[in-house]
Amino acid sequence: MKSRFIVTPSLCTGCRTCELACSFTHAQDGKIGRSRIYPLDGGFKDLYVPVVCLQCEDPACVKSCLVNAIHFNENTGAYEINPEICVGCMACVAACPFGCSLFDTQQNLVIKCDLCGGDPVCAHFCPSKALTYKPIAT
Amino acid sequence: MVTMTINGKLARAKEGEMLLAVLRREKIDIPALCHHEAVEPYGGCRLCMVEITKKEWAGGKNMVTSCLYPVEDGLIIQTHTTDLIELRKTILDLYLARCPNTPAIQDLAAQYGVTQTSYEPVTDPDDCILCGLCTRICDRMGFGAISAVNRGHSREIAPPMKNAPPDCVGCLACALNCPTNHIKYSDRGFTREIWGRKFDLVRDAKTGQPTITKEFADYLSKHSDIPRDYFELKDESHRRETALSLGKIAIWNREVPQ
Repeated sequence: MKSRFIVTPSLCTGCRTCELACSFTHAQDGKIGRSRIYPLDGGFKDLYVPVVCLQCEDPACVKSCLVNAIHFNENTGAYEINPEICVGCMACVAACPFGCSLFDTQQNLVIKCDLCGGDPVCAHFCPSKALTYKPIAT
Repeated sequence: MVTMTINGKLARAKEGEMLLAVLRREKIDIPALCHHEAVEPYGGCRLCMVEITKKEWAGGKNMVTSCLYPVEDGLIIQTHTTDLIELRKTILDLYLARCPNTPAIQDLAAQYGVTQTSYEPVTDPDDCILCGLCTRICDRMGFGAISAVNRGHSREIAPPMKNAPPDCVGCLACALNCPTNHIKYSDRGFTREIWGRKFDLVRDAKTGQPTITKEFADYLSKHSDIPRDYFELKDESHRRETALSLGKIAIWNREVPQ
């Protein structure tokens, strides 16, 4: 059963719970991590858009990676950066047209949303169901 | 699948893997300076040596660099015997003679109880241990801007003719992955300097913050078939633009009766 991460901006209340959930999920060595999801102002009144990696079909990050560090995970449907192969050249950070490949200055690593290995924590915590992770009919 | 014995414990590995990958996965602390998963193993630093034997070798033993030795069925591996620790001590002693002021080498040597080199230190020390990781990563990324030059004691890593390298794009992959932080670079304002060459950084069209170098952006758009205007914005501005355009779509969806 394949699942898909669905973002519905019109339901988002801008409460930033997803950002907190992401930071705490990716905490390491007792420090909270950098959030991979950004609930930003959508440009209209009371409209917020959670900007997160969209797991594109033809992703610019994978094309730009010169050492093939980003692989598609068949089980979760997410593109994952292998931190051991990554050389930190920031090509994917500059290439992503949605700005969802980030550089974590705390760990000196390039990070992106990996759908928490198949069970996105932000979707659990979203109070208004703007973020959902649902099986898709195939 | 192959089965091996590491320090008396059974361990499984995939065919074609190198020993170092298995040892790292089994959480065994093996020092290695020249190893990086992105490039082919090289066996330059010699610190990842382990002792291998097999039942049918009748007591015969061999010391191999684990980064270069592929897994075999029935291998019996010892990682911290007295001989191996003596060997690593000698190697670190030699490294300390070459790089006496390098924090990474000092820390590693102190772990093995070497605080003072017993050899004569070089007169003009630098931080380079000549592991070649920078040149291998540069080659792997397809630039090949730097290489090892000269032989013997005058061997060093340098761009061609020690001039500003024409093939370098200023991606900093060599400097960021150097195990001893020997490669120096500077990011001042909108210029980056590395290997004696100056690069202009791309300015974010919205906020004016610096991103990657213009040469790297040109190379990526040409080599990887990515539109050049993707590189005009920093990730922060890209996110803001995404929020605004997706917000417009959300408003439009709200107004259209479902």
